[in-house]
Order: sequence, then C-alpha cells, then structure tokens
Amino acid sequence: MRDIITPIASIAASLVVVGILLAAIGINPLEAYAVMFTSSFTSKFGLAELCVKTTPLIFTGLAVAIPLKAGLWNIGAEGQLYMGAFAASVVALYSNLPGYAMLPAMFLIAAIFGMGWAAIPAVLRAKFDLNEILSTLLLNYVAIYWVEYMVYGPMRGKEVYNFPYTDLFPDIATLPRFFGTRFHLGFFIAIIIAIAIYYLVNKTDFGFSLRVVGANPRAADYAGISRQKVIIYSMLLGGMFAGIAGMIEVSGIQLRLRPLISTGYGYAGIPVALLASGDPLLVIVSAALFGFLYVGGSVLQTTYSVPVAIVYVFQSLIVLFIIAGQSLRRRG
Amino acid sequence: METLLEMRNIVKRFGNLVANDHIDFEVRRGEIHGLLGENGAGKTTLMNILYGIYQPDEGEIIFEGKKVRFKSPKDAISAGIGMVHQHFMLVPRMNVFQNIVLGYRTPHDPLINQKWVEERVEALSEKYGIDVALYETMMNLSVGEEQRVEILKALFRDVKLLILDEPTAVLTPQEVDSLFYALKSMTKSGLTIIFITHKLKEALKVTDRITVLRRGKKVGSVKTSETNERELTRMMVGRDIVLDITKPPREFGKEVLRVEDLWVKDERGNYAVKGVSFSIREGEILGIAGISGNGQRELEEAIAGLRKVEKGRIILDGQDITKKGVMERENIAYIPEDRIGVGLAPSLSVLENLMLKDFKKYRKGIFLDFGEMEKRGRELIEEFSVKTPSLHSSAGALSGGNIQRLILARELSRNPRLIIASQPTRGLDVAGIDYVRRRLIDAVMKGAAVLLISEDLDEIFQLADRIAVMYEGEIRGVVDRERANYEKVGYLMAGGLEVTA
Repeated sequence: MRDIITPIASIAASLVVVGILLAAIGINPLEAYAVMFTSSFTSKFGLAELCVKTTPLIFTGLAVAIPLKAGLWNIGAEGQLYMGAFAASVVALYSNLPGYAMLPAMFLIAAIFGMGWAAIPAVLRAKFDLNEILSTLLLNYVAIYWVEYMVYGPMRGKEVYNFPYTDLFPDIATLPRFFGTRFHLGFFIAIIIAIAIYYLVNKTDFGFSLRVVGANPRAADYAGISRQKVIIYSMLLGGMFAGIAGMIEVSGIQLRLRPLISTGYGYAGIPVALLASGDPLLVIVSAALFGFLYVGGSVLQTTYSVPVAIVYVFQSLIVLFIIAGQSLRRRG
Repeated sequence: METLLEMRNIVKRFGNLVANDHIDFEVRRGEIHGLLGENGAGKTTLMNILYGIYQPDEGEIIFEGKKVRFKSPKDAISAGIGMVHQHFMLVPRMNVFQNIVLGYRTPHDPLINQKWVEERVEALSEKYGIDVALYETMMNLSVGEEQRVEILKALFRDVKLLILDEPTAVLTPQEVDSLFYALKSMTKSGLTIIFITHKLKEALKVTDRITVLRRGKKVGSVKTSETNERELTRMMVGRDIVLDITKPPREFGKEVLRVEDLWVKDERGNYAVKGVSFSIREGEILGIAGISGNGQRELEEAIAGLRKVEKGRIILDGQDITKKGVMERENIAYIPEDRIGVGLAPSLSVLENLMLKDFKKYRKGIFLDFGEMEKRGRELIEEFSVKTPSLHSSAGALSGGNIQRLILARELSRNPRLIIASQPTRGLDVAGIDYVRRRLIDAVMKGAAVLLISEDLDEIFQLADRIAVMYEGEIRGVVDRERANYEKVGYLMAGGLEVTA
C-alpha cells in the first residue's frame, strides 16, 4: 500500500504548490481546477482531446518505464519519438505503397528508427558502461535538429507557402479518426501495447531477468543473468515505443512532419513512468493524468491567459516530489 | 602516564548485530595503542564512534578529563582527534597543498595564506620526518605518499590523538618501516596514536599497549612488552566453541573439484589469488581459514564463474570449466559472503528470490508458470523453515537468519555437486549458525563437496575435514583436521610464515 502513498501525495503536493502559484497571479485555484476538470470530462470534444494527449504519453511512459524496470534512465524518449516520426513521414510521403501496406509499414519503420536511436546509448552503456542518462539526453538534440533540418530543407513541402512543413500525408497514411473529433486509432493501439508489456514484464522470463537486473545488478550476475543483454533489450524496447509514439503523432494528429511535433511528450514520459513506478498498466492511468494536465493547461490558457507552461511546472514538481518521497522512504 | 581518552561501556547495534558490546577502552597520553582484532571484531566501529561518525547507543567518552559528545567528525577534529581511514579521503584532482588546506581556516580567511601554510607544513615535515611534494597532484602520488598526506593533514590540524585504521594494509614493507619511524617520532613530541590492525607482528613491533577485541567484545588490554604472539593469537581468535555438532564419519568419494595453479585479479587489476591449487572430494569439507581480504573473495568468485581467471584451471567432475559462464556451472551452489548485496534482490519477493537461478525452467510457451513456481516455493520455505509473512513479501524485509535460509533453500535444493560457502554464519544468532552448519553437513552426507571459507576458526575446526590457510593470495599448507593445531592456524592467518607439515 505504501507504493500508492508516494504518487498520490506527490500529486496532491503539486496541486497545492501550483495552486499557490495561481493564487499569486490572482486566479482562484479551486475555480481554475474546476474549469480544467469540466472542460476535459464533460464534453465529447474534451474527452477526445484527453485521449489524444494521453496516447503519446502512454507510449513515452512505456519508453521510460521498461528501461526503468532494469534500473536504467531513458531520458531520450523525445529524440526517439522524433526519429520515429521522421522515418514514418519518409514512408508516408515518398514510398507510394498501396493503402493496406502503408500504415503497417510506417508503424514498423518508426519502431525500427526509435529502436535504432536507443541502440546507441544502449550499446555504449552495455559495452563501455557509459552513463545512459547523458547519452540519451544529448541524442535528443541531434534528433530534434535533424527533423528541423529536414523540414526546412530536403523535405519541405511544395504546397506550404515556405513554412517549414512537409506536405500533408496522403489519406492512406493517416490513422482513422472517430466521432467527428481528433480521437484516433492510436489510442487503442497504445492501450493494447501497454497491456502486452504488462504481461511481458510480469509473466515472461525476459521480464523476470529485467526485474532482477533492476533490483540488484550484482545478484543478476550471480544468478547468471546476462546484464548486457537485458540493458540492450530493455532500451531497444523503450526506443521502439517512443518511435511508435512519433509515428502516431504525425499520422494521427499532425498529418505532416514539422518542427516541434511533440510538446515534450518524451520528457513527460519520465514523470508518467515514475508516477506509475514503472508498472505498464499504471502507466495508462498516469498518462491519462498528464493528458488531463495538457488539456486542462490549454483551457487555462484560453480562459485565464495563464501560459501553458504551468503544465510543465506541474510535471517537474511531480518528479521532484516523487524523488523526494522515495528518498524519505529509503531513510524511514 | 596520564589517561588521555576513556571510552566507557560503549554499545553500538546495527539492527540485530551488536558491533560493540559494552566495550571499555582507555588510552594514555603519548603512547601508541594497538587495537587488535579480526575483521568484524568491532575495531573500526569503535573508532568511528570516537571520531563522531557513529553515535553510540550506550556509554560515554571522556577526552582530556572532560565528558564529550561528538556529533560529527568536525566536533572530533576541533577537540583534537584526527583519523586516517583505511580508504583515503582525498581529492585526486587537487594537489597536496589544496588537500591539506581543504576545510581549514588559515589566518586571513577567506584568503588562503600560502606562505603560512608552507612554513607550517615544512616545520611539521621536518619534525616528524614526513616528506611530501607540496604542489604535486594527488593522482600522481603512490599509496604510501597519499597516506603521508593524510597524516600530515591531521597533524596540520593540531591533533592530540591520531587514529590510524589499518594503515599498513596498502603499504610496501619499506613504506611500513618509514611509517613506523614517523609514528615513533610523533609520540616523542607528545602525540598519542591509536593503531588499528589485525596483524600481530606489526602490533608487537610498534605499539606500547594493545587492546584486543573479539566479536564486538573487549578481551583485554596488555602491555606490549609483556606479551607475545601466542598469547595475542589466543586472545584474538578465542576458543569458545559455541555449538556442538558432530560430524558423522564418511568415506570420501571421487574428486569433485580440482583447482590448478589459479591466478585471479581483483578490481584494481592486482593479483589477489596467486597460484592456488587444491582439490575436494565427494563428502568432504575443505575449510579455508584466513582474514578477509587475502584473496578469498576473488578465489570463490572465480570458482563460481563471476570473475575471470588469468591463469590456471578449474576442473569440476573431470570437466574443465575455467571459461564457462555462471549458467553453465549449475552444479555449483554459491552462498556468498555479501548475502544482501550479491545473493539477494532485496526489493523482489521471496518467491522471485527463490527462483533467481531456476526461473527459466518454469517456462511454458512464452510465459512463466507462476502456479508451478509458487508450489515449489512453498515446498522450499517449508523444507528450509524460512519464516516469511508470505511468498510475495519482499525478501529484503526478512531477518538476517531467514535471508540466509532463503539462500540455502535456493542453492542447496538444486542438488549441487560443489557448495561454496563463504562466511556462511557471520552475523547470525546461535540458532541460525547451528542450522547453517547442519545443512552443510547434510549436504556432504549426500555426497556434495564443500568449500568453506571462513574467518571463524571455531567454524573451520568444527566443520572442515581438511584446513588450508589463505594469506596474501597464497595457500599456506593444507592440513588434515586431526593434525591441525588451533594456535598454529591462527598464527598462519595473522601472517606467520612457518609452514605446517
């Protein structure tokens, strides 16, 4: 039960601190929270947006959570997402694949590129013990600027009036949408994958090895579990899901590649995974919470002209409180 | 000589372990006082209490006639106590000067008065014969030089009492001589020194008085001039046999393990095992006696498959396994010295820990058969009486004795041919010790071979059929239990050179 106290206390504490900040700029925090809540949950469009924001967060949450189970910090979900989005866009725009093959091919290539991007820090960590926090973080910039370069240069579209966009994807390269909203197929894919990963982590021998390495690497050596293998596979899996998140964003929401396709979904994956303490099913719940914050945050912006940055404040606070809570528990 | 320091009735507990059990300790001004005992006897704990790193659970400290309480090393330093730890506390990228001044307020603080420091260091160097190159970067210094910097750092702070924790462990014989010379000259000018060691010879050579600790208790204090190695050995290793376990007579079968001229390196790349050879037969327990840190850990890890062998061969049941991985050595059970750090994944459940080595055998399709694992887990905790609230509670929450039972359950239930048991009863209570020893005897009765590595001489003498002493990476003679002599083994453990027949 103590596992639940830290995340809930962290959310509560963050709500209080953000509330104080809101009050400081003259907004009644309770009223503001009420507005956030009603706008997300009481209309079809609010709920649809909630799911739209939750979808990539489930993927990036998993991208952080799986390596986290093995004791690794994948700070690079953002970059892996961009690489996935880039690869999927290339297929969508230039491949001329038939309709039935287009989306599967985009999905696959995005997964491979996300994996490839994660493979670099994974191998460096497994073979040379290079800190994966630094390498994943720094590779984010490479990926983000790579996408920027591509859309300003080689991939810039013909019908975009010189904006740094690619052309719109053909219809066969976009995910089906429902209910006349932006709600798309990606949401279901995310849920299914999260459930599958739950079984992978908790019910398979790979998951067992993963948890042993995360719990005590020396015990893993002692039991003959290959630590290098676990490090590489868990990072690859993480990168794969971040890459898929990228594909789903471009083909479900943006419908083209452009800079800033992700408003920090990769980084938000860190608090999502932490809040779920790495449990793939709980990742769905905590992703929904952060999705709510994104939706509610933009409502705050339109209603009170509070910058949407308040959402990032909230995210960072949750990370801080969770880490503080964990270290308190370790001492207590 | 007047009394400088008195520690009265000191008690320090770590969980269930009593590291210091009502210890009285007294040091006189101007002496070199040896604090002698095996590893784990409580020497360092006692000194860490004096230096303010730990707070005692009971007892009091009187320094220079006043009752004191040091909440941190800072308090101890300002009272005039300095400590040179076994592992040096220096900043490698800084130079000697910077390391000495670090944290010290020279005149004209916050500016560093360089000239003043230089003069002072020079005076100290001259007085005690400690040479250092003041502007050399620490990284370029040898271990002996680093130690001199540590000592100088303490002297620079005007200490009256200097604690040295195993100062010779890292030194060459020549460096040891010059250290001893410096220590003698320090006491001549009024400094008092506490010298922690487990080496008899050094204690006899350099100290004025010696206090011996054993298993957290004080055995006694003697004047160095009135004692000898034999008496100190007896005080150090003791003879209080706690338990009476009878080993039924057995026939030894064929050879299970043979180790031939084994060379293994430690983490720092130095040879820790230097050409060790021995063999163990079915039904036999070979006891390796020795103070920790003489290559035992590297030896056992090499046999278990956790450490690379540089040279030599390991043969199990006639097969060369020198280059095989842990998974391919499933006939070897390993009860590691560091149970929680190596033998256990503390945050995982009891069941997961029981299955740490065997989970792959429960694969059914792509999933693991948790029902079957639980069934087996329940049998195991029953058979080895592991007391746990449930199979799913976290293993780290178990008591020390139950953690060891869990490890025994996992390791012994796999019907191993060879069991490596390293310090298998350290830190356990009497019931736990008894249980572990009986289990090991059961295992040899079933035909396993046991390699027992222990600092506890009682344990070695009670269990082993043959006894080997390991010292500085070498094996000093293997003797049959019947012909082994308690004092002689203790003497060899402490670095005595004589080889028993």
